[in-house]
Amino acid sequence: MIRLLNFLGDHFIGIINTSGSMTLMFLDSLRLMFVRPFRVKLLFKQIEFIGVNSLTVIILTGSFTGMVFAFQSYIGFQKFGAEQIVGTVVALGMARELGPVLSAIMVAARAGSAMTAEIGTMKVTEQVDALNALGVDPVQYLFVPRILAGFIVMPMLNAIAVFCGIVGGFVVSITVLGINKTLYLEYMFQFIELGDFINGMVKAFVFGGIVTLVGCYKGYMTTGGAEGVGKSTTESVVMASVMILVFDYVLTAFMF
Amino acid sequence: MEYALECIDVHKSFGRHQIHKGINLKVVKGAITYIIGPSGTGKSVLLKQLCGLMPPTKGRVIVNGKDLTSLNRNELVNMRKKFGILFQNAALFDSMNVFQNVAFPLVEHSKMSKDEIAKTVTEKLRLVGMKDVEDKMPSELSGGMRKRVGLDRAIALNPDIILYDEPTTGLDPIMCDVVDTLIHDTQKQLGVTSIVISHDIESTLKIADYIAMLYDGKVVLYGTPEDFKNTDNPYVKQFFSASKEGPISII
Repeated sequence: MIRLLNFLGDHFIGIINTSGSMTLMFLDSLRLMFVRPFRVKLLFKQIEFIGVNSLTVIILTGSFTGMVFAFQSYIGFQKFGAEQIVGTVVALGMARELGPVLSAIMVAARAGSAMTAEIGTMKVTEQVDALNALGVDPVQYLFVPRILAGFIVMPMLNAIAVFCGIVGGFVVSITVLGINKTLYLEYMFQFIELGDFINGMVKAFVFGGIVTLVGCYKGYMTTGGAEGVGKSTTESVVMASVMILVFDYVLTAFMF
Repeated sequence: MEYALECIDVHKSFGRHQIHKGINLKVVKGAITYIIGPSGTGKSVLLKQLCGLMPPTKGRVIVNGKDLTSLNRNELVNMRKKFGILFQNAALFDSMNVFQNVAFPLVEHSKMSKDEIAKTVTEKLRLVGMKDVEDKMPSELSGGMRKRVGLDRAIALNPDIILYDEPTTGLDPIMCDVVDTLIHDTQKQLGVTSIVISHDIESTLKIADYIAMLYDGKVVLYGTPEDFKNTDNPYVKQFFSASKEGPISII
C-alpha cells in the first residue's frame, strides 16, 4: 500500500514539475519572440519542415477521414431517410473536430518527434551546451522559431485537412453512395457557418503551439545518450497526443 | 599575481550524490592551468561551472571580479562570450558544415560582412593546419580534425579564457602532440588564459604552467609541474605512477 502511494505521489509530483517547467519555457519563448535577433531564416526553415513537408500526410489523412466519415454517417442517416445531411455532418465534424485534432496528431507524430530527436541529440552531444557557450540562448535559437512556425502553419494545415475531408466525403457520397448532389450541397451550405471553421482554426492554432512546445521541451530535457533520445521521442508523441485531446475537450467546452 | 578566474568553496551535488565538496582554486591570468584527476571526479562538471553553464550548489565562481552565480540570464549569456570552450567531442553542430560551424559565433556576435567572415574562417582554419575542408560536414571529419575545427570555433571571437575538456582523449599519439602544440601555440599567440581538463600526464607535464589535481570533490594539490614531480602527496604519486595501489579507490 505504501509503495503504491509512493508511486502515485512520485508520479503526481513529476506531472506538476513537468507542467510547471513547460509553462515557464513557453512563457520564456513567448517573451523571446519579441527580443532581437529575429531568426527569420530559421523560422522559414521550420515552416517548411513542419508545414510543407507534412502536406502529403495531411492531405491523405483529411481525405480518407472525410471519405470514411461519409460512409459511417450514411449508415445511420439512411435508417430514417436523411442521407442528404451526410454532407452537413461531414463538414461540421471535419471543421470543428476531426480536421484540427487529426492533423495535429499527424504533425506531432511526424514533425514533433523529429524535433525531439534533433534537439535531444544536440543535448546529449553537448551541442546545446556549445550554443550556450557561444553566447546564444538555446531557448531563443531552438524553441522560438519552431513554436512560431507551429502557430503559423498548423491552422493552414487544418484548412487543407478540412477541405480535403469535405471533398473526400462529397466524392464518396455522390459517386459511391448515390446521394443527390444538389440536396447534399444545399444542406451542407445551409447548416455550416463561418463560426464552425473559426472554431477549428482556434483549436489548430493552440495545437500548433502544443505540438512544437512538447517537441522542443522533451528534446531539451533529454539525458542518457541514444537510449534517452529514443525515450524522449516516444514520450514526446504520447504527451503531445494526450495534451491535444485534453485541450480539445477544454476548448470545445469553452467555445460550445 | 593576477587571477582570471576564482572558485570559492564550490560544492556541487546531483540529488544525493555529492560531486564537489568545497573546491577552492585560483586560475592565473595568461597561463595554462591543467585540472587533472581520475575519471568520475567531476572535472567536466567543474569546467561547466567555471563558465556558468552549470550553477554550483553552493559557493562562488568569480570571473573578472564578477560572481557568475549572481548574474541573471542575459548577463550570463554576455559573460560567456569571454569564454571559448572546446568540448570533449568538439560538439560541432552536425546540421552545419565546417565553414558554418566556425563562422557561427562571427555571424551571431560580430558586425563583419560576409566576405570578412569568409576570410576570417579561412585564416582560422589555416591556423590549425586545415585546408579545403570548409564544405565538409562534421560526420566526414576524423576525431583530430573535429577537435581542430572545435578549437577554431572556440577562438573565433578572441575570448579571454579558453576551456578545453579532455582535448587529447581518443586521439592517436601524433594527433595528441598536434593538439598539445595547438593549445600551447594558441596561448602564446593570443595571450589567453587556458584551462585544460585532462588525465593525460605526459601532456600535462609538457604544457602546463600550473596543475590542480582533483580527488574526492576537493583539490588535493595545486602547483607547478615541478611541484607535482617532487611531491610526496600519495594521491598525486599514485595517479602519476598509474598504479592501482594507493589511496585512490578504483570503485
